[in-house]
Formats: sequence, C-alpha cells, structure tokens
Amino acid sequence: MKRFSIHAAVFCISAAGIAQQVALTRIFSIAQWHHFAYMIISIAMLGFGAGGSALALFRHRISGRERALLAVALPVFALSLPASYALSQRIPFETFQLATQPVQFAWLFALYAVLAVPFLLLSVSLTLAFMQHTGGVGQLYCANMVGSGAGAAATVALLHLAHPQYAPSLIAAAAIAGWLLACGVGARHVVVAVGAAGAAVWAVFVPIRVSEYKGLSYAMQFPDARIVTEAVGPLAVITAVRSEMIRESPGQIAYSYPWSEKGAMPEQIGLFFDAGGVSPVHRFDGDLSRFAYLDCVTAALPYHLLDKPDTLVIGAGGGTDVLAALWHGAPRVTAVEVNPDVFRLMREHPEIREFSGAIYELPQVTPVIADGRGHVQADAQRHDLIQIALLDAFNAAAAGVHALNESYLYTVEAITLYLERLQPGGMIAITRWLKTPPRDSLKMFATAVAACERAGRGPAAERLAFIRSWNTGTIVITESPLTDTQIAAARRFSEERGFDLCYLPGMREDEGNRFTVLEDPVHYRFAKTLLFGDRESAQRDALFYLRPATDDKPYFFRFFKWTSLPRLVRAMGAQWAPFVEWGYITLAATLVQGAVASAVFILVPLLTLARRPAVRRAKRWVIVYFAGLGLAYMLLEIAFIQRLMLFLAYPVYAVAVALTGFLVFSGLGSLFAHHCYAWRSPRLRAPRLVLGAVIAIAIIAALYGAFLPAVFRAAIAWPDFVKIPIGLLLIAPLAFAMGIPFPAGLQKAADSDDALLPWAWGINGCASVAGASLATLIAVHLGFKAIMIAAVAVYVLAAWAIYRLDHTLEIAATGNSAT
Amino acid sequence: MKHAILRGIHGRGWLRACVVMGCLAAWAAAAEKHVKPDQSDPYRAQRERMVSQDIAKGDLWGRQAVKDVKVLAAMRKVLRHEFVPREIRDQAYADRPLPIGYGQTISQPYIVASMTELLQPKPEHKALEIGAGSGYQAAVLAELVKEVYTIEIVPELSRRAEETLKRLRYDNVTVKTGDGYHGWPEHAPFDLIIVTAAAAHIPPPLVEQLKPGGRMVIPVGPPMQVQQLMILEKREDGSIRQRSVMPVRFVPLTRAPGGE
Repeated sequence: MKRFSIHAAVFCISAAGIAQQVALTRIFSIAQWHHFAYMIISIAMLGFGAGGSALALFRHRISGRERALLAVALPVFALSLPASYALSQRIPFETFQLATQPVQFAWLFALYAVLAVPFLLLSVSLTLAFMQHTGGVGQLYCANMVGSGAGAAATVALLHLAHPQYAPSLIAAAAIAGWLLACGVGARHVVVAVGAAGAAVWAVFVPIRVSEYKGLSYAMQFPDARIVTEAVGPLAVITAVRSEMIRESPGQIAYSYPWSEKGAMPEQIGLFFDAGGVSPVHRFDGDLSRFAYLDCVTAALPYHLLDKPDTLVIGAGGGTDVLAALWHGAPRVTAVEVNPDVFRLMREHPEIREFSGAIYELPQVTPVIADGRGHVQADAQRHDLIQIALLDAFNAAAAGVHALNESYLYTVEAITLYLERLQPGGMIAITRWLKTPPRDSLKMFATAVAACERAGRGPAAERLAFIRSWNTGTIVITESPLTDTQIAAARRFSEERGFDLCYLPGMREDEGNRFTVLEDPVHYRFAKTLLFGDRESAQRDALFYLRPATDDKPYFFRFFKWTSLPRLVRAMGAQWAPFVEWGYITLAATLVQGAVASAVFILVPLLTLARRPAVRRAKRWVIVYFAGLGLAYMLLEIAFIQRLMLFLAYPVYAVAVALTGFLVFSGLGSLFAHHCYAWRSPRLRAPRLVLGAVIAIAIIAALYGAFLPAVFRAAIAWPDFVKIPIGLLLIAPLAFAMGIPFPAGLQKAADSDDALLPWAWGINGCASVAGASLATLIAVHLGFKAIMIAAVAVYVLAAWAIYRLDHTLEIAATGNSAT
Repeated sequence: MKHAILRGIHGRGWLRACVVMGCLAAWAAAAEKHVKPDQSDPYRAQRERMVSQDIAKGDLWGRQAVKDVKVLAAMRKVLRHEFVPREIRDQAYADRPLPIGYGQTISQPYIVASMTELLQPKPEHKALEIGAGSGYQAAVLAELVKEVYTIEIVPELSRRAEETLKRLRYDNVTVKTGDGYHGWPEHAPFDLIIVTAAAAHIPPPLVEQLKPGGRMVIPVGPPMQVQQLMILEKREDGSIRQRSVMPVRFVPLTRAPGGE
C-alpha cells in the first residue's frame, strides 16, 4: 500500500472517530441531558481500550495479516457509525427511571455496548495501520492527530448545517473515503460501500428519542401543540412550539396581580433548547400594557430602585427581559444573546417575527450576538442596569444537571467587571431559581459579597439587596451604597407583591420570613453571617459548597461536597440522591469506571505479552510512560480549552479552535519527532528528544500560567478574526512540544519489539480519556492552575520513565543478541 | 394449583382446567365489581406495611409522621396498585414515585398522605385537583371529601384515570381532559386545591378560585425526584400566606450566627 494512501486513510478515520464523539455528545444532550457528554467520553474510552487490548492479546494471530484485516475493519467501522446511532435510539433507556426499574440498568449497559462498537473498530483499524507501518509511527501519528483536529473543526461546521440526527450518516462518508483510500476500489468494495450507504440512509430517518421527562416532550402533549420551526446550530437545536398552554414566566407572579382585571398572560411560543430548557417568545403587537405581569416577579426589583434605566440584558432569549425593560420605560435596551439562532429565528422566521412584533428590530433595542461576559469585557459602554436573566430551565436547575458547566458569567471577576461597566448609581440584578435545600442563590450572594469587596467602593453591606418568592431569588448589587429612598422602595416593592426580604440594609429578622414561610429563614441567616458574622465557619459548616465562584474555578453550579455526603445521607435517608448534582456524580462514576476498565485493558494483554523478554523487562516503564503521556496531554489540553473559552467568549468556537490547534500542532510535533528519529543521530535518541520536549512544555506552561490572563485581558476587546489566530499562536509551541513524546516513545518501543505497539497505543488511549474526566474533577476542586502543575509533574515523570524504558530495552536487546 | 392446571392442560383433563380457569376469571371479575379489599386483595399486607411503616411513622431524621387517622384510613383503603402500570405493580406500595407514562408519575405514598393531611379535608369540602395523572390522589381525596374535580391535560392519562376511578366506584370524582391552568370556573370556588404538576409559577386563576379560608397544596420539584411541599392559605380578607413544608426536614444549612 502506498504511503500516501495509508496516511490519508488514517486522517479520514481519525476525523470520523472524533466527529462521531462530538455528534453523540450533541445527540445525547438532546435525548437526555448534557452530562451524558461524560458518558460518551467513557464509551469512547471503553471502545478504544478494548480495541488496543484485543489486538495486543491476539497479536500472534494477526501478524502478517494486518492489511487483510484492515480491509475488513474499515468498512465495518464505516457501517457501524450510523448503525450504532440508529440502534441506540431504539433502546428505551430513561435516566429518571433507574431508581424504579432495574431493567433500566440493562438498557444502560446495552446503550454502552451499542455505542462503543464504532470506537472499538476505530481503535482496531488505527492499531492495524500502525502495526502495518512500524517504521513510520511518527508520520502516522501526525496523520492521526491532524485528522482528529480537522474532524473536530469539520463537526462544528457540520452542526451548523445539519441536525445532529444526520451527523452519523454523514460521518460514515468520511470513514468510507478512508477505507477506499486504504484499500483501493474493487467490485466487492462497491458492494460493501452500498451496504454502508444503506445503513447511513436508514440512520438518517431514525429520529432522536427524546426523554419523556424533557420540556419539549411535555409541551408536545398539549392538544394544540404545533412545531413552528426548528433551528439547528452547534450550540443547540432550537424547537419553536406554539400552544396556548405554554405559559412561561420568569418566576412566580405575585398573587396580588389583578389577573381578572389586567387579563391573562399574552400567548407564547416556546423556544426549547435541545428539547429541554424553554425561553418564551410573547405575542407582542406594540401594546406594552399586557405585560404588567412582568412587574410582579422578583426580577422587577431594580426597576423600582432606578428611574427608566438604560439596560443591558444578558441572556435575552425570546425577549421576556427586554419586554420587562421596555414596560418599565427603559429608553435603550442592549440585548445580548449567545446563540445566534435565537435572533435569526426572531428576525427571519415570518411567523415568529410577526408574533413577537419584531421586538429585536425596535429602535430602542440593540441586539448583540455574544457571550454575556465577553460582550461586557469587550464593550466599554456603561449602563444603568445590567440584568442577568434566569438562563436555565426550572427543572434542569433543580436536577443539578449544570454542575460541571463552567460559567464565567457568575464569577467574582465577572461581577467586578460588571460593576466597572455601570453608570454612577447603577446596579446589577441577578435572578436565580431557588433550590431545595437552598444553595444557588446563597452561592450567588457569597459571590456578590466577594465581588463588592474586591471592587472596593464602600462596604458590601450597603450595596446589596436580596429578595425571594417561593421559586426565584433576585440579588441586586449596586455601584454605590443604596440610598434610604431606594431601601424604602425595595421594602415597598417586596411587601406589595408578597416577596420576602433576604437581605436589605437595616432589615429586621422578622421581615425575612413573612410571606413564603420557611422552617428556617436560611437565606437571611446566611446573608447576615456572610456580611457580619463568622464567614469561614458559615462556609465550612454549610451542607453545600457555597464558596464564591472564581475564574480559576468557574463552576458556579457545583454545590456538592464529599464531606457533606454522610450528613446528606443521614438527613435524607434513602432519598439523598436527588440532592446531589448528577453531572458531578456521572463524572466521578466515569472516572471510576475508566480507572477499572483501564486496569483491565492494560493488564489483560500482559497474559500473553509477558512471555516476551522485552515486555517482561520493560512493562512497568511502558505503563508509566504511555499512561503518563495520555493523562498529562489531556490535562493540559483541557486546562487550555477552559482558559480559551473566557478569551474567545464563545464556547463552541473556543473548543473548536483549541481542539483543532492542539491536535494539528501536536501532529506537526510528531512529524518532527519522526524526522529526528529518521536521522538516527545519537544526540536525538528518544529519551533526549522527550526530555527536551518536557523541558519546553514546563517552561511554556509556567510562562502561560503567569502571563496568559494578562495577555487575554489586553486582547479581549479585539475582533474575532484577530483573537482566533492569537489563540492558535499561543497553542502552537505548547502543542508542538506535546506532540513529540508519544511517537518518540512508540517508535522506540516498536523497534525493540513490535508487540509493544498495540499495547502502548491502548494504554495511551485509556489514560487520555480518563485524563479528560480527571482534568474536570481537578478543575472543579482545585482550579485550573492545579491542572497545569499536575500535568507538568506527570510529564516530568514520563521523561524519567523513558530513560528507564530506554535503558531496559537496550539491556533486553543486548541480551537477545547475545543469545 | 399451578401444577394442577398445567397437568390438566397437558393431560386429558384440559377441559376441566378450562372450566376451572373460567370460574376463576368470573370470580375475579365479580370481585372487581364489588370491591372488598379485605377478601380479594393480595396487596393488603403491603398496603398495611406502607401505612404503618412509611406514612404513620416518622423517622429519626426528622420526617414527620402523618397523624390524621382519617387520612391514614383512606390510604389503607385505596388500592394503589390499581393506579400503577401493570408491569411495575409489584412496586406499587414502595415509598417512592413511579412512572405512569407521558413523563408523569404517581407520587410517592408518603407525599400523597402528607399533601392530603396538609389540605385538612372535611366531609363537606369541594376539592379541585390539577394534574389527575393516575387518579390515585383523587381517589384518596374522594374518601375524605364530598366532591373532587380533577383535570388532566394528557387525554390518554385522563381516560385511564377516569376508567380506573369508575371501576373502583369513586362516583364523587369528576374527571376532565383539559388545561388546568384556568381551573374549573363552573364549579368554583373550591375549599381545597391540589396542584400535582410542577410549574414555574402557580397559576393565578387557581388562587382566584380558592375560597377565602381555603387551602392549596403544591408539591414543588422535578418529576421522579423528592418534592418539597408548599401550602398556600387564603385568609378571609383574601390575602395570601404560603409556607414551605419539606417531606423531610433538612439539617440546618448554616450554623446560627453569633448574636442571634
């Protein structure tokens, strides 16, 4: 087989593999909830590990037949992409029924098994390609990395154009191309290609099976429900549903609202994001009087403390907060929305545009497509009011599915920044759903207190107001101390609408629990302790993790504390489970499962491999080296992606840029390693090469740790076409150095004993994916800096291991030649 | 018995077995018509355990026991398994919510009993339920009040609930398929309102249809998970006061601050 062909084939199938992973993540965000992303990672890992492991185990049977096997594995891989998707959507798995129906565990297992097949075949195909070309490991690895990078970028582009439902079929085309490139075109190939095409066509018609517990499923049960349109994008699939029974409000409407007199809430179209959270679009004909109810929710508080404020709405969605601002007489409203499809629907879809009264085209409304934090950072304009809406769905918030979403919107640094963008006397209003037991709003308050103290414009106790209804809490943070008139207005607003005060300068304790009476006025007591009491002990003793979110640990939605688990179990008996964040638990479970599976996949091949002298001597160093590299690579990559998210202010592009940058430049690094190896210079032997790369990685990581935040701050306001190349440029040297150690070590191992190749490949695969879960877990608990330090430490360990490995393999080789 | 029937089927006596089975079926049908839980109900012991262990007994962790004897009697009487899908009927008396399809659940027995107790039902009361679901809550209320009106938005569930309630002879329950948001103005005002669908807001029309002095109970929280209970009371002057009652009492979130 020509060199070019095999490289092109590896490029194509690597692209297909990563594309399938991204597509499945999107598919399961729609079908279930987005924390299934971690399940997909663990499935990919299982498949990868199992593939490498199987080949290592049966190596003696494969030897010499690599090409023939590759010719079988590749078409089956292509076929399996759409087929496994289509089959997975027939499995009636339901997360919420795991507790009541033991059969659900069987369905979950079936889901794992069905979805893991393509990854297993990919792993087998790649390993066979490597085994076939043991002399060119570096080049193949380059093709693998560059292919993966291109696949990641292409998938983001693909998800702009096609519904995730179609993605597996389209990805199969890339895999077929890879197969034809590797094996040429013959008559029997055409037959198999037709079969794969058939599976692809079949999968196209298999819709995503949406959980019956998701918002869209509920809405579609309304007798008059009608899907108006669907917008497809990489951030979410938005389904617009029209029904007279959709009535979303930003929290409880005050009971004092004269319903019979003012009339019912205007009709709504619900915009469902990934079949879950809903943002309503109100029927608006220019008459604002029908929106009086928006003055009867907690989020209306700031409008009673300011007079007709120039307002910035973050998370504008279907426009509820924009209407609220207009109803309250705002002369200018800047509406920031991260998802461009929302504005596109509102402006371009004839029915929705007419229905919504073209609200985003009104002269006093300026729509901005951007991430909220990114926009505030980039735009120096000041506002009287920054209104941060309820951005997630009520039920999703309660179920804790956002536990692992980084949110740079709610960190101490973010609120400090918002304070800088306020006009004198201006304010920020943040509304959150209240959970049981309370945690969201308490953490928000703690973050607000920390931000006020950091900004340092007067005591925090004079610049905060916090009220609650039974299901929402609104926190107001002011630029300057609240005046007596404002304090009286806040008191009157809450009293008239039946909202309880949680904190207001000078409030009495009995004002904190009057309308929605709690057994324990937790909000008031927590706020008071934070401002006037022993803050540290309040945090230490809290049942949940309520410390302020920061840019280093931007996990606002993580509340779970391991130390509280015994207390939770004691307090809730058998019902503790709903009170932990399931995203977090899924991640922890993924890591445990990954560790167990990795141990199995790494150790089982040793049953046959250990008989070989090179393996027997070097096995420990092979494990340390290749597992260490897999782990460290993922740790650094994920830490960098998180940093880049804040800089590029647009999560999908940040991930695409970072992933593509890392993989492509690492690919070039491995090509460099290949050439160094080809020169056969004693000064460029594998250990030296690796040591050089690790020193470079350590220096670059240290420099980035120290200077990156400052660089990002300086460049954040620049346009995207400048920021993206800057991001790539910053990635380039680090990724290049990170691409060197793996092929250098792999080539060394393959030269000593080619049986080591599939085993080392499998070890690295297992560790890489376990690294992804571990990186998030470290970030949640210790922050990004800790990930950088851990990654460098593991790289140093790997450098030491390659010296030991080299030494051991040399001894083994000498021993062999002597005998 | 089972072996005898099988032997009968495989042997010469298959005809006799058919007769026996026919008699059994007829007897079962007759028993269903005249519901006498004490005689024909294989779940009686489970129901008794549910009431005595899960509902009438508090626990060390602060779970409040349901004490109202009338409520306990109603919980003992209503055949919960009849409202649960056949395939999970064996779990009907476990103290947890169960799926009934369409993303809906039958609430856990303790919650049903607590909500009913919190409503303080009296025999002369007229009750409105929003979200009939399986019809189980309506059946429990029907044991305690004069009339129950229940609305269910999913036609299939509504039909199923109506059939079950009719079969079990709950003649004082009226089921309607429709949008519960607007309540049931034709029969308003109500002494008691129970909302069993979690929503982002309590529909204001329901608050309007509550009689002064009336009570509304709402379980708050996502489906298939533990829910928090809210009680809303309309005072004689029309003002509203609501209180949050949790199914289990939580450990205090923070230590009491000094000086308080």
